[in-house]
Amino acid sequence: MSDSRQHFWEVFSHFTRGERINANWTELSPRSRDWEQLYRNRWQHDKVVRSTHGVNCTGSCSWKIHVKNGVIAYETQATDYPSLGADVPEYEPRGCPRGASFSWYEYSPLRIKYPYVRKELLMLWRQELAAGHDPITAYHHITQNPDRVKQYREKRGKGGFIRATWDEVTTLLAASSIHTIQHYGPDRIIGFSPIPAMSQVSYTAGARFLSLLGGTLLSFYDWYADLPPASPQIWGDQTDVPESADWYNASYMIIWGTNLPMTRTPDAHFMVEARYNGTKVTAVSPDYAEYVKFADTWLPAKAGTDAALAMAMTHVILKEFYFDEQTPYFEQYVKQYTDLPFLIILSPGEHGYTATRFLRASDLDHAIEHGEWKTLIYDAMTDHYAVPNGCLGYRYEASQKWNLIERDENDQPFSATLSLKDHHDSLLAVSFPYFAEQSYVRTRHVPAKKVINHAGEAVWVTTVFDLLAAHVGVSHYHPTDEILSYEDNAPFTPAWQEAITGVDRALCIRVAREFATHANMTKGKALIALGAGTNHWYHSDTVYRAIINLVLLCGCQGVNGGGWAHYVGQEKVRPVEGFGTIAFAKDWISTARQQNGTSFFYFVTEQFRYEELSTKTVGSPLGGRFTDRHPADMNLLAARLGWLPSFPQFVENSLDTVKKAKESGAQTAFEIAQSIAKRLVDGDLTFAMQHPNQESTYPRLLFVWRSNLLGSSSKGHEYFLQHLLGTSGHPLAKPDSLWTPQDIVMNPEIPKGKLDLLVTMDFRMTGTALYSDIVLPAATWYEKHDISSTDMHPFIHPFQPAISPPYETKSDWQAFVAIAKRFSELAEIYLPATEDVVMAPLAHDSIDEIAQPLGEVKDWLTGEVEPIPGKTMPKFILVQRDYPHLYEQMITVGPLAKAAIAGKGIKISGEKAYDELIQRVGVHETTDAADLRSGKPRIQEERQVAEAILTLSGATNGRRANEQWKALAAITGLPIEHVEIGKEEVAYTFEDLTVQPRLSLATPIWSGLESETRRYSPFTSNVELKIPWHTLTGRQHFYVDHEVMRDFGEALPTFRPPLGLEPFMPHDEKIMNQGQTVVVRYLTPHQKWGIHSTYTDNLRMLSLFRGGQTIWMANEDAKSIGIADNDWVEVYNRNGAIAARAVVTHRIPQGIAMMYHAQDRTVGVPGSAITKDRAGTHNSVTRIIPKPTHMIGGYAQLGYGFNYYGPTGHQRDVMTVIRPLKEVNWLED
Amino acid sequence: MLIFLYAIFPYTALTIMIVGSILRFIYQPLRWTSKSSELLEKKWLRYGSLLFHWGILFVFGGHVMGLLIPIEVYQFFHISTETYHFMANLFGGITGLMAFSGVVILLLRRTFDPLVRRHSTISDYVALIALFVIMGLGLFETVFYNNIIGSYEYRLTINPWIREILVFHPNVTLMAHVPILLQIHIFCAFLLFAATPFTRLVHIYSAPVRFPWRAPMQYRARNRYR
Repeated sequence: MSDSRQHFWEVFSHFTRGERINANWTELSPRSRDWEQLYRNRWQHDKVVRSTHGVNCTGSCSWKIHVKNGVIAYETQATDYPSLGADVPEYEPRGCPRGASFSWYEYSPLRIKYPYVRKELLMLWRQELAAGHDPITAYHHITQNPDRVKQYREKRGKGGFIRATWDEVTTLLAASSIHTIQHYGPDRIIGFSPIPAMSQVSYTAGARFLSLLGGTLLSFYDWYADLPPASPQIWGDQTDVPESADWYNASYMIIWGTNLPMTRTPDAHFMVEARYNGTKVTAVSPDYAEYVKFADTWLPAKAGTDAALAMAMTHVILKEFYFDEQTPYFEQYVKQYTDLPFLIILSPGEHGYTATRFLRASDLDHAIEHGEWKTLIYDAMTDHYAVPNGCLGYRYEASQKWNLIERDENDQPFSATLSLKDHHDSLLAVSFPYFAEQSYVRTRHVPAKKVINHAGEAVWVTTVFDLLAAHVGVSHYHPTDEILSYEDNAPFTPAWQEAITGVDRALCIRVAREFATHANMTKGKALIALGAGTNHWYHSDTVYRAIINLVLLCGCQGVNGGGWAHYVGQEKVRPVEGFGTIAFAKDWISTARQQNGTSFFYFVTEQFRYEELSTKTVGSPLGGRFTDRHPADMNLLAARLGWLPSFPQFVENSLDTVKKAKESGAQTAFEIAQSIAKRLVDGDLTFAMQHPNQESTYPRLLFVWRSNLLGSSSKGHEYFLQHLLGTSGHPLAKPDSLWTPQDIVMNPEIPKGKLDLLVTMDFRMTGTALYSDIVLPAATWYEKHDISSTDMHPFIHPFQPAISPPYETKSDWQAFVAIAKRFSELAEIYLPATEDVVMAPLAHDSIDEIAQPLGEVKDWLTGEVEPIPGKTMPKFILVQRDYPHLYEQMITVGPLAKAAIAGKGIKISGEKAYDELIQRVGVHETTDAADLRSGKPRIQEERQVAEAILTLSGATNGRRANEQWKALAAITGLPIEHVEIGKEEVAYTFEDLTVQPRLSLATPIWSGLESETRRYSPFTSNVELKIPWHTLTGRQHFYVDHEVMRDFGEALPTFRPPLGLEPFMPHDEKIMNQGQTVVVRYLTPHQKWGIHSTYTDNLRMLSLFRGGQTIWMANEDAKSIGIADNDWVEVYNRNGAIAARAVVTHRIPQGIAMMYHAQDRTVGVPGSAITKDRAGTHNSVTRIIPKPTHMIGGYAQLGYGFNYYGPTGHQRDVMTVIRPLKEVNWLED
Repeated sequence: MLIFLYAIFPYTALTIMIVGSILRFIYQPLRWTSKSSELLEKKWLRYGSLLFHWGILFVFGGHVMGLLIPIEVYQFFHISTETYHFMANLFGGITGLMAFSGVVILLLRRTFDPLVRRHSTISDYVALIALFVIMGLGLFETVFYNNIIGSYEYRLTINPWIREILVFHPNVTLMAHVPILLQIHIFCAFLLFAATPFTRLVHIYSAPVRFPWRAPMQYRARNRYR
């Protein structure tokens, strides 16, 4: 800095007098300003590179990375997003303090710089190799010796890594993979990586390697409990939400349990700007959350009671906008776009009449094709029962009637009758389940018509609308039905909800009225944003369905500025078809093993042996066949009937299964499937899920990348440590003491430790990395090529290396390619090409969804139905595994991509895409025609993978989009082939993305329309183009008629109280000397100082709040146990114990405590007084509690899709004890 | 020997101090700091720092009175030798004790507080230990020597010697019979003077001297001031 001084004595210039003006009041300071140069130098840079953060916040913000002297200096927000036009605020700049702090990680002490291996393991490995054994034998010697395995297993999480080389580690991993395949089967190799959208190539890396191998990929969306099961139930769609700019189009907005400014920081401005535009904002939240302060009205509903408030609002809207007065817009909407006019059969039974299933065409006429999948409405004008276009049955036939044009089976127009009140043959007393502390049956009358079925029997039917109106207590047709006023404390009235939620009835009525009035005046521009606060519950689906009632009844869904907006964990891999093709290796192998995470972890961590919730207590008071099944038995049933996947699949090695089938004479794929079915029926072959304690079924190898499984999402953390990892975990519950499964075979002694290897790939030392046996150093988001997209905005963002991967780090893609290469080299010697059979569940958006008709459960095991693979049981799909050429397959786009590219039931030819891809990335340079890479596109580098994804997908390639619209036009018979006409020339290359953020194109893969001039809102395609929803009726469902749904009383939307699981159960061991305690509901919302565990260990973010784990408590609760702010407390229940510091606040109401999610426990964790060991994470007091209704499959919208359906890993139904931690023991001796 | 100790050495030390400080101010202006450790440890700093700084200010004043003001001035005002020494011992003792206890606290703090120790450099210890030794000797002289053996009349020896040093006319013979404790005290003091440019002690030169005279409103030129 002295360079800029002309003379050294200028440093003394401040002794001189400066020029004075202003009557000597003002002086030009004579001081040198050279010191400022320091700061200028700090922000100097040599180059700027566009990249983003592949973090699970779904923000996907474009950032400029500034590099100086080859060192990443800092990042700033990009400001060059394309404009949205004059009428909507712009997206830029996007970003939040978390993202802005990322560059700290680059050179931080947390950075993983080299491959590390647990010392005990590496020593054994080196010894074995030094003794002259080949790698496979060496691995065999280590893992088949229980003492040796125990040596390193017990050390997990207790330090002791030593540095290894990539060569050594890839050999170890390749050997362990080969050994596992040989001994146990490829499905024992497991991969966990979440949210592909945040870095699609990196996700693809491991997913492709494992899919080629035959390994099992675990789902994450349902596991994180971010999946709203209500979405598939209502819409047959995983989740589709408006982009944040569409909030600006809303005229009324309810924010219901999603903390927009805190967790959607870069998007929240649209909500604030909408307020300037006149939008009224109402907040529903138990605590004074950050979003509440932006709201005009606050409804402080008690935690977990949101459905009661929503049902009361449903009551108000039905009464005032459907009964007191008719609202033409609403009526027309629900008739056309919902199942409200569809007919439900009322069956007599021990409780009188109950609503059962939809009336089907097959009930009336056997001859209709797919009649069991065509539902009916009543047309009072012509007095006939019509089968409207768009029912599911039409989707799988050539009639081109799978559309929402109001025509019936004879192509005649019809007008659906919403209520039978003026057309009924009789008023029937129908029983409805009602859930409270003591559930009971309520009876109300509904107008019903008598239908004569094909057998000549009389069947009573009514409409969904009549059922709903009777259920919420609005309709009144019979003198014995009570007339309810808003002031009566009877189910679903505003007064009733006040007793449950604590929200003033007048406020509830007012907001319901305002919502519907706004929706009516603006034709649906009323929006409800929901999220973790309403979704992370056992009964998440009933909460959501109750809330979504409002947007459906008010005609808001599929309208810009209206509908639901689910913001927790939702993601959007916009180029999803291309991504799916490459990531799951569909270009080489037709089927990948995809397992729903919650079920997997429920079994492998033995949590099913600690089950405390008897599902009988949550079953319908009307009774049912499935309410007394243990969730583990229910899950086994789901696996058996093809509802849910179940990997590892069989007790025996799946490679042996094929061999045995062939030995027994089966040749074709069909015969092999038949022989497997037969062996299953005979009991000769059994599901691995049935024998979770048998060593041959254990998962052996778990790859975790882009994830902090153990620091963030391990619900039942202590069970993970004890039973899956075999290290020090401390569940305080007593196993097998409450409710044990019938069908699951268990050892008296619970396994402690199952995994042979836990492998983590990360750039920072997370909780998961600390428990791993092998830690691989990953490149960060500023060091690799990748792509990212989100549903919060329409752009596709690139990752680019600002510097090349430093130290010994590798991008995820390069790391898995290196492992694949070594794997193939060893496979050449030890593991020949072979055949494998994949047990796949009945898939969503495929013909499988019409496999099990009428929603009746029929079990082949008990002889209720024939065992037919792909129909009454899972599919058994024969696949080829070319292990010696796995590496070549990994880096080459295979021939199946040329045959077809498919997504969500829309299939196009891949011919053109394949050629275009060759143009972009070139082919492998090989002259050997026998080389399977010959003439095929090359994806050796991350960037080429990105190009493949972009080329094969409609959202990023106009030609694909047009081909897809054409394909959908062919199925639906709708004139929709021209939606994206004119966009053929849009074909984004990676280079394009780096120049400026690019808008994605509208494709039928997604449910909404979008363009430069219109914002994305889900289901606008369905509403505007009359494309059916992927549901039974083809419309949005209020009523879900599957038998299991009815058994749990959830056919109709309703309110179910949150579970209040006691901290300890009678048989659990008592905690001695408890002292002063308080019992609270334990909530784990998303935090401000991190995105899950990312950034929470970042010095820049740490300096904004207290470091280490904290728990927020109400001041009253804190006072009751003598706790002051920042005191240490112990939080515990039967699942484990946590030590944290209390944040005492009046923001939170009494009776709940908030431990912000995923603070991880890498530093500052003292011992627990109860476990006498280092205390746990926020998940140490949670446990997996699977809900049986989430296991349904093989039935219309309830078919299985990876991350689409399955039990959720929710965690808000637990209660915990909090007490002062009197002595803080750091366990440092 | 006397010439070295009381002429060559003092001038060398003062030269190093003055030239070194100026060079440091010119070439490392951003390192011109007292390196506060208040963020790391507050409680002991508050006692140590306040005692030391207020103490040392008065001690400095006392040295000015005893070493720079000629004895004739006191005689002119009819301040008797007894009165002078009584006052000097009393106030010098109190303020010296303050400063010394401050330095002891600071030294203990720097040595035993793990955070502060981790952030300390050798120069911090040099400064503190030198102050400890010098002030310990000075205090011993003032509190014990003067009271037990009798006050030493430095106004006839050290005082003129210092003043003559300042006018570049040193008379080293004046120092020949100065008590050995004081000689060590003086020697150490000059060692410390020589060390100042390399320690945090440079902050003693930083004072807002222009503040009372500058214009109330200060503004900066956009470009570097010429």
